[in-house]
Amino acid sequence: MIIRSLNEIDLQSIYKHLEKLCANCDKIKSPACKESACLIGFSKRALRFSMENGVLDIPGANKLIPTRDLKTYYPETVAPGLAETCRQCRQCQDNHSPNCVIALTRTCLEYTTLSQEIDYPGSVFQYLIKVKEQNKTLSELIAAAIKT
Amino acid sequence: MDGVIIMGEAIFRQKNKQIAVNVIAACGVMTPRQFAGLGKIAEDLESSGLKLTSRQTVIVLLEEDKLPAFKEELQILGLNISPFGNSIRAVKACSGNAELCRRAITDALNIGIEIQSKYLGQPVPDDFKIAVAGCPRGCTDPYCADFGIIGCSRNLYNIAIGGRGSSGNPLHGRTIAKKCDQRTVFQVLDFVLDKYRKFAEPEERLCKTISRLGIEAFTPNFQLPEKNDVDEEFVAFLTSGE
Repeated sequence: MIIRSLNEIDLQSIYKHLEKLCANCDKIKSPACKESACLIGFSKRALRFSMENGVLDIPGANKLIPTRDLKTYYPETVAPGLAETCRQCRQCQDNHSPNCVIALTRTCLEYTTLSQEIDYPGSVFQYLIKVKEQNKTLSELIAAAIKT
Repeated sequence: MDGVIIMGEAIFRQKNKQIAVNVIAACGVMTPRQFAGLGKIAEDLESSGLKLTSRQTVIVLLEEDKLPAFKEELQILGLNISPFGNSIRAVKACSGNAELCRRAITDALNIGIEIQSKYLGQPVPDDFKIAVAGCPRGCTDPYCADFGIIGCSRNLYNIAIGGRGSSGNPLHGRTIAKKCDQRTVFQVLDFVLDKYRKFAEPEERLCKTISRLGIEAFTPNFQLPEKNDVDEEFVAFLTSGE
């Protein structure tokens, strides 16, 4: 009998959204495709590392996010991935870790479209309010995608 | 001490005249044989109940005349009665290790068991409680322990001292060392215990000694190794094949 299961976190579902972003990237399958230097590629590596090693936190990984990835991303393509991180988020509140693999992916996706990093408040509702302060359209797109 | 029927061992007389015997395992981990065996002994000796404690030990309620038989059977199972009085108590450790909790970022259970094996029952001026957590979430309340060990990265720990949880005047411990590897954790523990034994008044809890002398008296005066807190395995994984 499963009483409470962290296995309910479906990292694969986040990964699928990232692959869709990759599929539309000009650099895909070219020598210029370097995952460690790409926000989406970094997220995919972090998720693969997490799934292969059975860990949810990767100590210090948030310091390695490739913030110099300046490729163009659009809110409507990023929002479904952000929504999926919200769906999978356990809403740890005070125990939120920026090195949680879900948080890492969310932060990377934020860097693609937002000008300022969001200090995650530990709950999805409060998070959407913070996104709205920076980008109302993105906030609405995420909220709509969460409902689907 | 009122209610304690054997000094040094955690055996307490209860209101109903029974005795409560506090049984200790490896940071709360028992083998199925030990767990079932303890239940069998309790049943055979007509225990009125067993109770899990906040220090990851098990209280067994017995009639006092059953104690010798209980002790004998307990020994066969490889379990012990918890120490009590001015001594180092059972170590509380979460299930963080390579096989268990997915949230843990470093080992807590194995180092907790190692610490318990080495220090349990050692004499100190007052009770001394140790807690180990494998991540900053701190499921074992490390900031409420005299000596709290908190996993901060793979194989690295922060150390807080002077916490006091179960009290009318609770206190949180203060961090005295960061990013310590396992070897350094033991060094810092030895250092703190040495100072505590040296400076504390009889029956003075560590937090009181700290408030009297200042945290500086308990801050390691030896060089702590500089550690990188980024997961090196992930760094290698991140760039592999590029």
